[in-house]
Amino acid sequence: MKRKIVHPAPSARALSGPNYWRSLDELQGSPGFQAQLEREFPEGASSIDGVDRRNFLKIMAASFALGGVGMAGCRRPETRILPFGKSVEGYIQGLPIYYATAMPLRKSAFPVLAETHQGRPTKIEGNPSYAPYGGGTSLIAQASLLDLYDPDRTTGHYQNGAKIDAAAVNQILSSLNEKYSANQGEGLAFVATESSSPTRARLVRELHKKFPKAIWSEYEPISDEAPLEAAQAVFGKSVKPVYQFGKAKRIVSIDSDFFQSEAGSVFYAREFAKGRRVTSKDDDMNRLYVAESSFTLAGSMADHRLRLASSHMLAFAAALAAKITGDSSYDKLAQGLDIKAGWIEECAADLSNNKGRGLVVAGAHLPAAVHAITYAINASLGNIGSTVEFLEVAETKAKSLASVTAAIAKGSVSSLVILGGNPVFNAPADLAWANAQKSVGEVIRLGYRLDETALLASVNIAEAHYLESWGDARTVDGTIAAIQPMINPLFGGLTEIEVLARILGESETDSHVLVQSTIGKLTDGSSTAFDRFLHDGILADSSYPRVPVEYNGEGLAELVAKAPKHVALSKTNLEVRFAADSKVDDGRFANNGWLQECPDPITKIAWDNAIWISPRLAKDLGITSKGSALQVVRDETEEFEKGKQMARVAEITLDGRTIRGPLHIQPGLSDYTIVIPVGHGRTHAGRVGDNIGFNAYPLRASHAMAFATGATLTLTGERQVLANTQEHWSMEGRDLVREANLSEYRENPGFVKEVGMESESPSDIGPEGEKMTLAQRNSEIPRGNSLYKTPTFDGVHQWGMSIDLNTCIGCNACVVACQSENNIPIVGRDQTIRGRSMHWIRLDRYYSDGKIDGAAFGGAGNHEIPEDPQVSLQPIGCMQCELAPCEMVCPVNATVHDDEGLNVMAYNRCVGTRYCANNCPYKVRRFNYFDWNDKKLDSLYMGPLGEHGMPELVQMAKNPEVTIRMRGVMEKCTYCVQRIENGKIQWKVQATREGRPGDVAVPDGMINSACQQACPTQSIVFGNLLDPKSAVSIAKSREQDYALLGYLNTRPRTTYLARLRNPNPRMPDYKSLPLSRIEHDIKSEGSAEKSAGSEKKEAKS
Amino acid sequence: MAHASEHSAPAILSEVKPASLPRAKMVDNDRDFAWITEKICGIVEGKTPAWWWWCFGVACFMACFTVAGITYLVATGVGVWGHRSPVNWSWPIVNFVFWIGIGHAGTLISAILCLLRQKWRTSINRAAEAMTIFAVVCAGIFPVFHIGRVWYAWFLFPLPNYNVIWPQFRSPLEWDVFAVSTYGTVSVLFWYVGLIPDLATLRDRFALAGRETRAKIYGFFALGWRSSARAWSNYEMAYLILAGIATPLVLSVHTIVSFDFAVSLIPGWHTTIFPPYFVAGAIFSGFGMVLTLMLPLRAIYKLEDLITQYHIDCMCKITLATGTMVGYAYAMEFFIAWYSGNPYEGFTFINRAFGPYAWAYWIMISCNVITPQFFWFKSVRNNTTFVWVLSLFVNLGMWFERFVIICTSLTRDFLPSSWGYLSPTVVDIFTFFGTFGVFSVLFLLFIRFLPLMAMAEIKGVTPQADPHSGHNPHA
Repeated sequence: MKRKIVHPAPSARALSGPNYWRSLDELQGSPGFQAQLEREFPEGASSIDGVDRRNFLKIMAASFALGGVGMAGCRRPETRILPFGKSVEGYIQGLPIYYATAMPLRKSAFPVLAETHQGRPTKIEGNPSYAPYGGGTSLIAQASLLDLYDPDRTTGHYQNGAKIDAAAVNQILSSLNEKYSANQGEGLAFVATESSSPTRARLVRELHKKFPKAIWSEYEPISDEAPLEAAQAVFGKSVKPVYQFGKAKRIVSIDSDFFQSEAGSVFYAREFAKGRRVTSKDDDMNRLYVAESSFTLAGSMADHRLRLASSHMLAFAAALAAKITGDSSYDKLAQGLDIKAGWIEECAADLSNNKGRGLVVAGAHLPAAVHAITYAINASLGNIGSTVEFLEVAETKAKSLASVTAAIAKGSVSSLVILGGNPVFNAPADLAWANAQKSVGEVIRLGYRLDETALLASVNIAEAHYLESWGDARTVDGTIAAIQPMINPLFGGLTEIEVLARILGESETDSHVLVQSTIGKLTDGSSTAFDRFLHDGILADSSYPRVPVEYNGEGLAELVAKAPKHVALSKTNLEVRFAADSKVDDGRFANNGWLQECPDPITKIAWDNAIWISPRLAKDLGITSKGSALQVVRDETEEFEKGKQMARVAEITLDGRTIRGPLHIQPGLSDYTIVIPVGHGRTHAGRVGDNIGFNAYPLRASHAMAFATGATLTLTGERQVLANTQEHWSMEGRDLVREANLSEYRENPGFVKEVGMESESPSDIGPEGEKMTLAQRNSEIPRGNSLYKTPTFDGVHQWGMSIDLNTCIGCNACVVACQSENNIPIVGRDQTIRGRSMHWIRLDRYYSDGKIDGAAFGGAGNHEIPEDPQVSLQPIGCMQCELAPCEMVCPVNATVHDDEGLNVMAYNRCVGTRYCANNCPYKVRRFNYFDWNDKKLDSLYMGPLGEHGMPELVQMAKNPEVTIRMRGVMEKCTYCVQRIENGKIQWKVQATREGRPGDVAVPDGMINSACQQACPTQSIVFGNLLDPKSAVSIAKSREQDYALLGYLNTRPRTTYLARLRNPNPRMPDYKSLPLSRIEHDIKSEGSAEKSAGSEKKEAKS
Repeated sequence: MAHASEHSAPAILSEVKPASLPRAKMVDNDRDFAWITEKICGIVEGKTPAWWWWCFGVACFMACFTVAGITYLVATGVGVWGHRSPVNWSWPIVNFVFWIGIGHAGTLISAILCLLRQKWRTSINRAAEAMTIFAVVCAGIFPVFHIGRVWYAWFLFPLPNYNVIWPQFRSPLEWDVFAVSTYGTVSVLFWYVGLIPDLATLRDRFALAGRETRAKIYGFFALGWRSSARAWSNYEMAYLILAGIATPLVLSVHTIVSFDFAVSLIPGWHTTIFPPYFVAGAIFSGFGMVLTLMLPLRAIYKLEDLITQYHIDCMCKITLATGTMVGYAYAMEFFIAWYSGNPYEGFTFINRAFGPYAWAYWIMISCNVITPQFFWFKSVRNNTTFVWVLSLFVNLGMWFERFVIICTSLTRDFLPSSWGYLSPTVVDIFTFFGTFGVFSVLFLLFIRFLPLMAMAEIKGVTPQADPHSGHNPHA
């Protein structure tokens, strides 16, 4: 258990004052009460005996059932009701308690801290005890909280459609045990998801012992770890790679989106950012080469990006290997590769010049052969042991889903147990899983929802959410993380290990006991060790052993033989790349409104998936933008009509299977690869996820799970509107995201000052202001030439934020973290289409291709969507302007400045003129057009006739420290003012207790905004500007620091650190300036002469 | 003009024949006082014509759209309108500025022309003032109901409250509250003071006709007017003072409305040209609306002798002048956008003319810049039907001017990531449509129950009122 609160010692007055007792029993000192006190509330949860802790949780939850905090109606109260108010030692009403737990996902887990308010978890944060993740989290981990309170989750166990109680479930499970104990499990089959849980592994081992003839299979529609067979083949060991991006100076990604879709992405992103961050011109900076078919976050960060079909990655890897290892046997594999001359040569040379400091990674979805070649390259470069480590993992004995269908087809399966997963929805089309499942007599399914698979099961057992479960899991490097419940299962759900233990007929089936016994075997078995485990959330030194490996290429040929053959792609022979959706993953999070509403970081499409096609393919299909003769901006009218993305609907046919979906023309895709995010198009996900997007699984066969060639695409002539949150993709040559190449930065570290409007106007803070220190500038208000009197900034702190565009990877974790922390409502698909999404922080995504040409400005007019753009990302929340344009236009004083520099909103005072939102140049203010919280999203327009009232379960997810805003009120980022105030109070209490009552300046790092806390790359820094040593002051003192639209003299407290790119001058696609800068220079200088000039200069040198 | 002063040198010419420049007649056909009284009072006293009932029914029906739209809006949320981020103001504010602009002509005619002793104002000032008041009523609907929580609209007024929170006086919206309410109050007062002698006339006539109830009602509002010389003297002074008070208001209201935009920092709004440009535009649209209303009235009630061709000429010329000013302002905006060298500003104006709302921009240009140019031609000014059609275009153009200013600037401002496109909803359209009904209801009631023209004043500008009428002043 992790406790962030510090409890005040009793004051002298309390000790000497009158005595209070909690009951007559206490007054009498009756032994019963004493015992109860000791048993239930021992000092500090970290030393609680585990069993009692569970009871403690039960009680806690139960007391709220009576208290009506939101549990009423969910569950019958437990027998023992204790008042919660004063009785839990150390608990202070209103202060959250943080518990360590972990969110399991496939073969890894995110160690997290769950913030609980009065027994209900309200926010997920990263667990800083786990150093590799360093407190960072991912989008999915942040949003997982909402699933706990999903009103559409299973609320009970069912048998043939009728609700059954827990005893009946136990009966069913133990009868399975009885039935199959006799025949060693003949006829019993399991389909489970992948898991890293040591307890489950232990139970599965026992299962194999007890039911040797039972089939245990594991199925995941998406793989996020390198296939073990690759390592097995070339190292002869069962090992998996873990990458040390922090140590790598030259990184080549072969179709690997290690920022998002690979296991351990939080760790990788964090380490990558370490190598990316440049604080002075002497700093080294890593260089990222990406070859990819789709457009991923890794691609958006790339210094050199090569668009290449996934099916050509084998040839690419081989060509790279040939150059690096000098082994000509690779040449044959590389045949047919058609890429820009010199790309591979220079990339290989760069890697070879950085031996031991380079890293080549391959995407988890690629065939084992590619991974094997990648290992060969890394081995040849001496990267193994430095930037790539191999960890020994147990070989899995799990069968494939296909083997289960084969057994079912033979009629040899009489009982099928499905543990989690949703195979009816996401199994490969060729397995015809739904039919197979239907033909089994008894199907027992443990599931979180009554989903597609549940409908075809005879028994449905409700599964517990990880926040209400005991369990364990391993992180990407194998460190064991604790999963402990924050709350009693809301609907009596069981965990996977409980179900397994019951089927196994274990004497003890309580998951807590099961976990404790697993951990007990790994530690000295003491309860202290277990408590330590729970407190830290991770088991120290429990990672998989790092083992040395020796490359031998013997098994490579076999892998290559299995890999799909290289074929040339064309308009009639397309490659389809099936990728996990960036938000709903494989579909499991489809009913999560936070995730659905979060725009995809690349396409910016929320609430939908789309068939991504390249601009080249679009042109081949006859989709060409005509534009107007006098066009003003980069043209996109073909796709956007009146601000709405009107996507063409197309049909894709692959091996006789066809699906339909809307097209999204995506710059940067490999020409003839179409990317389809899977996971959408659910029919039984729940009210949020049903019938959102289209289902791509019916197109996918088991032999080509990640990509397949031979697809054709035909337009149907229909159009469909997509909820795209960003209509315009070009920065239009504006100075919004300022970028430079590392070489320019080294020559001129202050280049940001020479870009944009400020460079051409006098300083807004005047010459005196320029001489001031950062702290002075933010508290003494240099007037510059301003006529306006500013607020007094005489608070003890002056809050500010710095966002490093150089390390922001656009993962969206901050967006959902903010949503969770600040009770930001979801508005639904329809309202998102109407441009009313409510996110307080958003990620702006711009493409640039170095051309900027509007016909209305005398150019030829640019109708082309770039085929190979660079991406610039920019997270934008309220800038907390010192001279806030929103404040001076509010007629009712609803938005005002406080003395610590926050631009605060008084929701009660707001009448909703929306003038502030108009006058905000950053467009970060969000308006409650409807009662999003009170009204059902499908009856917003029904007014008082529509249903209203927030489901009780959803109410529980709300942060009690943040107001729920009603309709007609403006809202925006507050720098998490509730966290600031909490931090100030805590610090004051602590300082007073320590005898420093006047010490009210909160030390740096004590207050973290939600976005900052979630950021895996630590790109967001928040703190006190008056403290010159605070991280934010240091960041803002760097020369790359600039204010967005600074020329407006708004003096934003959030500033940005310019983005740097580190291209290799020898590469064929080298540009001496980032493309967005070229566009900017053309637009502001009237020509690209400056850019072209410097390019020439560089070429000479 | 060519009068020689007493001490001037002897004329060079042996004989001076000054050109004869006859003053335009304010009342044609030498109508006498009785005819004027009979004509104007007759409209009120006569039987309600059938067309009035038809018009009134249609107007009431139209007004229901506004009532229904507003009811739905308040019950459901501002989301029923087409607003979105980044276009947080759209139709309602366009409509507000449109109606407020229309309201300008009335006070201009009554106050400024009164101070400038423009006698032609007398035939049209009453109706124009009524139009002003009704337009302000229509305008007032929008800013009140466009806010998110209309039940807290009183937060905008400086009312004592226990939280001691005052409105924010730096906000142009707050200035609006005072500017519009002052303007509305003074306009009503001005209109009413002008009505008093005519109400007394009606009272007396109804009393003579034995219609006691009406006589009492008119008598109540006539405030005991007995047409004494002293009363006239006080009346004239009061009227003059009110004209003095109202004159700066004509300029201030739309100046302050323009501050809603000019004070902000949005490219396309943030311009110092706005105050004069908005005032010119408002007068332009106001005269457009006066023409739209008066020409049919003139035809229906056969008021050609009172609203003469000269009056129409004057109004057309003012429309031409202000329309040209507005056109000049459009050109200056472009010039300054280029001359300032600010790329955001430059983009906004290019975007207006050639961007997604180019259609709206060119409607605005054709209606506001090209239409009034027809008024250079006397033949056009003499063609009443054509003038009326042109006045409709002026009204249309001025609505689009506000639309262009508000919507094109907001849809594409600083960050291209936030750009959007505004499409109105049915509720937007119906609510606006309904305000024409509200306006018509009020105006129809006005022409039915109140003297359409200031009888006393018209009599004052007839030749008969001149003690020297019939004499040659130069003889």
